[in-house]
Amino acid sequence: MMRLTAVCLAGITAFSAAACGNKGDIRNNLLNHEEEEQRVVNLFSPMEKTDPDAENIARTAFDKTVILAEERLGMKVVYRTYTAEDYRDKTYDDICLDRVRSNMDDMYLLNPDVTMKLAEEGQLMDLSGLENAKNLRDVVRMANVVDGKLVAIPQEVVAYGLFINKDMFDQYDLELPKTPEEFLECCRVFKEHGIETPVGANRWWLETFVLAQAYADMYNGGDPDGEIAALNSGERRYSDYMRPGFEFLKTMIDLGYIDAEKAYVSEAIEGEGADFLAGKTPIVMAYWGAANADTAYGDTDFQMEVIGFPSSHGQMPVLSMTGFGIGAEAEHAEDAMEILDALISDEALQVYAETNRVISPSKNVEVECIDALKPLNDRIQENAYVLATNAGMKLEQWGNTCLIVRKLLEGAAVEECMAEFDRLQEETIRQDRE
Amino acid sequence: MKRKRNRIRIDKGISLFLSIVLVFAILGTVVFFVARRLSAEMSASAIQNLSESLDLIKCTIESISDKEAEFQCLMAHEIANLEDPEAYIRSYKRNQTIVKLSLIRSGETEGISSTGESFSEDELDFSMGGMVGGLPVSQSYMNYMGTWAYTMKCPVEKDGREIGTLYVEYVYDSFDHSLPDGFYDGRAMLYIMDSDSERFVLKPKGMGERNAGHLNLEDFYRANDIREEGLRKEVADTLSSGGNILFNHDIREKDALNFMWSVNGGTIYLIGYVPIEAIQQEERTVNQNIAVVVIIMLVAFLLCCLLYYLNQRQQLKLRAEREKEREIHNQQLAEALEAAQAASNSKTTFLSNMSHDIRTPMNAVLGFTTLLAMDAEDPVKVREYTRKITASGQHLLSLINDILDISKIESGKVVLNVEEFTLNDLVSSVDAIIRPMAGARHQEFHVEVTGIRHEYLMGDETRVNQILINLLSNAVKYTQEGGAIWFRMIGQKQRSSQYQHIRIEVEDNGYGMTEEYQKKIFDAFTRAENSTTNKVQGTGLGMAITKNIVELMGGTIDVSSQMGQGSLFRVELEFRIPESHADQQFWADNGIGRLLAVDADPKACENICILLENENLSVETVSGLEEAVSLLEEAADDPIQVLLLDWTTALAEDLALVGRLRACMPKGAPLLILADYEQEGLEEALWMEETRILTKPFFVSAFKQKIREMKAGQSRSSSPGEGKSQSLEGLYFLAAEDNEINAEILEELLKMEGAGCEIVENGRLALERFEGAEEGTFDAILMDVQMPVMNGYEATRAIRALKREDAGRIPIIAMTANAFAEDERDALDAGMSVHLSKPIHVELLKEIIYQYVSEKGAE
Repeated sequence: MMRLTAVCLAGITAFSAAACGNKGDIRNNLLNHEEEEQRVVNLFSPMEKTDPDAENIARTAFDKTVILAEERLGMKVVYRTYTAEDYRDKTYDDICLDRVRSNMDDMYLLNPDVTMKLAEEGQLMDLSGLENAKNLRDVVRMANVVDGKLVAIPQEVVAYGLFINKDMFDQYDLELPKTPEEFLECCRVFKEHGIETPVGANRWWLETFVLAQAYADMYNGGDPDGEIAALNSGERRYSDYMRPGFEFLKTMIDLGYIDAEKAYVSEAIEGEGADFLAGKTPIVMAYWGAANADTAYGDTDFQMEVIGFPSSHGQMPVLSMTGFGIGAEAEHAEDAMEILDALISDEALQVYAETNRVISPSKNVEVECIDALKPLNDRIQENAYVLATNAGMKLEQWGNTCLIVRKLLEGAAVEECMAEFDRLQEETIRQDRE
Repeated sequence: MKRKRNRIRIDKGISLFLSIVLVFAILGTVVFFVARRLSAEMSASAIQNLSESLDLIKCTIESISDKEAEFQCLMAHEIANLEDPEAYIRSYKRNQTIVKLSLIRSGETEGISSTGESFSEDELDFSMGGMVGGLPVSQSYMNYMGTWAYTMKCPVEKDGREIGTLYVEYVYDSFDHSLPDGFYDGRAMLYIMDSDSERFVLKPKGMGERNAGHLNLEDFYRANDIREEGLRKEVADTLSSGGNILFNHDIREKDALNFMWSVNGGTIYLIGYVPIEAIQQEERTVNQNIAVVVIIMLVAFLLCCLLYYLNQRQQLKLRAEREKEREIHNQQLAEALEAAQAASNSKTTFLSNMSHDIRTPMNAVLGFTTLLAMDAEDPVKVREYTRKITASGQHLLSLINDILDISKIESGKVVLNVEEFTLNDLVSSVDAIIRPMAGARHQEFHVEVTGIRHEYLMGDETRVNQILINLLSNAVKYTQEGGAIWFRMIGQKQRSSQYQHIRIEVEDNGYGMTEEYQKKIFDAFTRAENSTTNKVQGTGLGMAITKNIVELMGGTIDVSSQMGQGSLFRVELEFRIPESHADQQFWADNGIGRLLAVDADPKACENICILLENENLSVETVSGLEEAVSLLEEAADDPIQVLLLDWTTALAEDLALVGRLRACMPKGAPLLILADYEQEGLEEALWMEETRILTKPFFVSAFKQKIREMKAGQSRSSSPGEGKSQSLEGLYFLAAEDNEINAEILEELLKMEGAGCEIVENGRLALERFEGAEEGTFDAILMDVQMPVMNGYEATRAIRALKREDAGRIPIIAMTANAFAEDERDALDAGMSVHLSKPIHVELLKEIIYQYVSEKGAE
């Protein structure tokens, strides 16, 4: 016992001595370290408005891959962001255009239409030389190659679909709609049962309805290359493809299935999300990741299913790719290339896909999706989908259609919208010839 | 007492506990106040620290802004002097700070800008009235580069006349280069906010987290959960007044200092927060050190408590052990006292018993002596009285012998004298003693020996004899006249090849015992007393001695009895078997190879077979005489060399057949008749040639002896000296005896035998007398042992050491009351010829003297 006591006392004494001790420092310079010049890559990306109670796994997934790249390369990725306060502000896409053109940053997260515009202006670097670019799926490559240059690379293939409150469909004995007619019938039933606005919409994503109907035939059994060539040459008109979708939207607006005024001023999810989550609106449109994110529709009180948009070929997912592009004159272009290569490595994409449960652009990465997304995923696995943007089309589809749909929301007639398409097509052909 | 002690212990424990609590409370209070004071000081220090940092940033930004304004005025002055100011504007290439120049001539609403577009002041909002360096500054806006910018306007004056206005657009990003990279090691967040729109227009590099609310003040509030209306109003008031505010609010569950710091007179604000732990990095160290000190003190204190507790426990343990020891000691003392009292009681009882037992025969001796004195003239009465006096004396002697024996056994002084003996001798001697006693009481005495494989054994024959005599004499005593006594010796299954296990049973059909008495029969001084047995004389020590001896031999004894039915004593003993005693050549030497036993009792036949098992002899048995005759006739070629015939079997059949048997046997072949003692009708049989009686039970050693005698042609055995008279006539002795009475008795006894003696009082006188006497004066020396001056042993050694011819050979006979075996051994060791214990038995004395003196004569 005495020995134990002695050991304890000795331990306490040693511990005390160590606690009171101070490392001797004989240097005159009191600075502990000198700042090392660190390689920095400036990344411009949008940012959602903050909700402190919500977990945004989409952003978390991206952050994880950034950290991975930073650690691997010993670089620092500096985030620069912009979020429009409301519809009167410049959009993120506008700011992107300005910043890329003004060479403000090194790397940008770009929507497909912006990518197209900037690529045509020669503002983006060719990324096809990246080591990991060879792993990309063909559909990804097809959507992001402009004039032979791979101008953007996504971390996920964003599939847009209809988010359905299955409980409400079941309540009124409704089958999930496959065609536009079935969709309208469902809306009619909902409307009859007092659902004021069966379809929740915002100013960004209504074009998905149009694109699904416009190109369902072309991408599913048609001749995409031939038809795109005909469109580029003017032999065929975009307005012919777009008309059914616009008429469909017009019907929806006229019948009150969509609140056009509200949609026109609503940001994505912000405008329609609350009613959908509250079970007031049975249908909204959103992207794949929204089904996984608490900030969107990742935690519903009802059974949710995500299906494709109605079309002549059934439920049709609309695929879009928000990719990373690097400014042609970027200050840290080489570092940005290295970072991007790391961000699209299979390792990083595996982390991203597992965290976010999305479709990976890499052929080598596959993950299981959540149950709600299975109907949409099944269609994609069947190769039944429509590309929101095809770099092969000289007239950018995703952004222009979005803008023209806004005109429809403002009250323009379908014919006016079609005329706008024709005008844009002619302008594009003329510019191409010049 | 114990309760009181427990209470004291509980009180002590409570006191200790309260002391510990008090020390903890004082320690905790001191630490609390020290820590609080430190915290308050560090908090003030943190506020000071942050204020200074923010002031530094503010000054930097204001300095840059002022320089920008100064430069813009300079630029306006230069432009005023240019011939073609528009050309200058158009030719301007943006840099990192000034990204756009615009000029509007006085009196015009539109002008030109360096981006090549027309410019109108309507695009900008100067309504908030902010001024930097004396120049109006616009509200922040998102410029053509996609970044937040502001514009300052400056009049272009030439010759004191305003000719236009120069608008210069600055980007907030330019501040980023002048601000530190990171704030509080990257743990703080800082934005620059346009105060009018409350939009965040710059997040300097390395400052802030992505999810900290990046959009505007509302977003900041939302992200950081700043919901308190009062606080938000206070902040709003401060912002509107262009003042600074610093407040505590948790940011993501961490205590943080939130700040809103006015820059450029409140046109822009520094907004953000710093976690307290980032400012007060030393707080953690200080707190850790305080905690370390407190922990060390607590550990030391607890260690002291532990040591105190262990010490107390040790002392309590020691005290308890001491108490326990004392209790044990007390108990031992009590037991010792009890034992002493018991011993005292025992002694009292013993003395009481002894008194009674000694007084009884003593009373007889004295009474008859009185009667003898009165009736001295009547020879018949004299003989009768002397016979009774002798009987009483004998009883008194046996009583003393028993007392001495039990005393010696109980004190552990008895040593077994282990020697080889034969069961034949043992049974014979017991039979010789008991049978007459039983005969005197007209009792039947049966001896049965069965199942014995080895009759030569190692053991203390005397003590075994004592056991048997005690048991059998008791049986005789406690069996009514005409009763029956059975003495059985039964060989048991051997547990070891080296030991013979024997059960001895002594059974009678006598008075029997009560159950109570059976429980104490083996205790000393117990005697069954009832109307039928109170006539029995005895010391009451016999059974106690027997039990002790049996146990000393490693055996057991038990008894079962029923009143009026008789008793059965059963003794289990094991005797070691001597290594080899079989005289294998005996039978061959005597020409005997085949034996026939005739006995109607198969058990007896089996017993004979077992005993002869190891002999080199062919043994056959038949149950009848006819059968024996026919066997003998058939065995003419391989004749039977010896025949054992059970006389009881013969009597049961025709005695004439015995003659036929003898006739059938080869000449000279012995015929041995197995008969019980005093069996009748044997005389006729003994007339046959080579026929002898072999007393039952059958033992090989007796059998061999009988064969040997017959072969040697000896007639019936007779003891040496039998028939010869033993006379001491004419002998002269030297007797050393210090007791006058004993000396007188001895002298008288010898005188009665016609011998003379000279009495001396001690050993030295005996030595001197013998030394002084001529050779042949004395025929023997009778030497007492315990004598004054010189004892018998010393005197004997001295005599034997004398240089005289007869010193070595003169018989010295020890006559002493020291009657134990050890005394006999000591006597022999001292050189004495023989040991004779007192009281002197005249016949025995005569026999021994005669033996030794005649031996001396023979020499």
